[in-house]
Amino acid sequence: MNSIEIKNLTKTYGTARGITDVSFNVEDGEIFGFIGPNGAGKSTTIRTLLALIYPTSGGAKIFGKDCIKFAPEIAKEIGYLPSEVFYYDNMRVIDLLKYSASFYRKDCSKRINELSEIMELDLKKKIDDLSFGNKKKVGIVQGLLHEPKLIILDEPTSGLDPLMQQKFFDLLKDENKKGAAILFSSHILSEVQKMCNRVAIIKEGKIITVEKISTLEENNYKKIKVEMKSTVDKDYFNISGVSNLEAKDNIISFLFKGNLNLIMKKISDMEISNVWIEEPDLEEIFIHYYAKEG
Amino acid sequence: MNMFLHELRAYRKSTIIWTCSLTTLVILFLSMYPAIAKDAADFKKILDNYPAAVIKALGFSLDSFFSLLGFYSATLTYVLLCGSIQAMNLGTSIISKEARDKTADFLLTKPVSRSQIMTAKLFAVLTSLVMTNVIYIIAASLMASAVQAEPINYKLFFMLSITVFFVQLMFMSLGIIVSVIVPKIKSVLPISMGTVFSFFIVSMLSSSIGDTTSRFITPFKYYDLMYIIKNSAYETPYIMIELLFIVTTITLSYIIYSKKDIHAV
Repeated sequence: MNSIEIKNLTKTYGTARGITDVSFNVEDGEIFGFIGPNGAGKSTTIRTLLALIYPTSGGAKIFGKDCIKFAPEIAKEIGYLPSEVFYYDNMRVIDLLKYSASFYRKDCSKRINELSEIMELDLKKKIDDLSFGNKKKVGIVQGLLHEPKLIILDEPTSGLDPLMQQKFFDLLKDENKKGAAILFSSHILSEVQKMCNRVAIIKEGKIITVEKISTLEENNYKKIKVEMKSTVDKDYFNISGVSNLEAKDNIISFLFKGNLNLIMKKISDMEISNVWIEEPDLEEIFIHYYAKEG
Repeated sequence: MNMFLHELRAYRKSTIIWTCSLTTLVILFLSMYPAIAKDAADFKKILDNYPAAVIKALGFSLDSFFSLLGFYSATLTYVLLCGSIQAMNLGTSIISKEARDKTADFLLTKPVSRSQIMTAKLFAVLTSLVMTNVIYIIAASLMASAVQAEPINYKLFFMLSITVFFVQLMFMSLGIIVSVIVPKIKSVLPISMGTVFSFFIVSMLSSSIGDTTSRFITPFKYYDLMYIIKNSAYETPYIMIELLFIVTTITLSYIIYSKKDIHAV
């Protein structure tokens, strides 16, 4: 079963911005990454899923139900954490959380206390007096207090210190183990790499690819750096399968995908003083993706 | 219910302030009545020297000005003005404040439909207005009975006083539809003050030139207090138009709000 099924989702704002023909599924119980630079359409997609904005064409189903038509019903099982959180300033944290809980018709007070203890959140403070990071914590507790089946996160880690980020990720993993599916939107690849099973890459409103993180990582890409004894024209390595070719002094670096023997032969034909062959991290693959598609 | 109570709490402070202002206003005005009634003849002489247009614009009617109800009607013009600002403020705030305070994302991702949100907010505003009016009318009646020279007709007194609420309903509806149509309202007060004062000025001008067509335009003219005093009744056409206006604007507001894109902050 799929928690989210997005099909040909299109949203246009007047002229330029928006998303075109976005389609992907988030399966039950998976952590799904949604990656793209700022302005690529991540938030637009998410806001449509939440029925905050309405699609121009196409649509999405959450738990098998149309996300617009059944929005209030679906919302019972969704926890949403926006990138920037704003709450009623003159309320205390606990009042805000209780108000939030009052929408779900179940007793959430135990969960509120658990979560705020984990996130080290002072419940008695006024929202107004909280720092950006602490407001974010309120957002996290607020998004998880009703134990949702689907957690939607829109660039959730901004403002959290690394320690809190780790706690937050652990929390998410726990929720995931309990069965919650997670849609994790971000422009920070390392956190997606750490958390997610699969990832959709979006660029300028279009989905470029949906892949397993492991496939992306394997994909036989090798990051190769060769230090030469003497200056060599970098085009020597410009064979098919080579990308991101760069030369600096006597060091030539590039990404390679293909038959390794070919490239090894090329290297062995040269007088080299050093060689590094590494697995590229997602970031580099990602930039490669963008360069290729662009 | 949770939303209703939350909203009600949000307007509590402003409701208290407005209620106090309206009450103070009527107490202040009515406390002058005994003095004015005593020197009625002298006052009449002074007022006779004023141009007729000015007298009308101020909401006075010389024949009845020195009866308590007549004097109260003149007072009501200003109570009406304040009450209208209160109502328009509330109406314009209810939806726009979520966008202004950036809390729309919080509320709209909760398991409630937009109509439910609108209904809760609408009832919270109505409750605030009703409470204001109840307290105002009690205070005004007590004050009136304290300063009366001869027994007053309380039914008429009530009929006059409640027009404040009726006019408020119109400005509230106007405020609500403005708040769902205008994409981003940075500040409510300029809009509500501007609108209310424009209508008030139109009504003053139309009074002084004795124009009747403008009665349909400005809510301030829907309830002719002199007519009510004379006939102990409201004018049906205006009530019908008011009802039509309120039902239309509120229905439209529901529809527009339900179809509106809520953009990120």
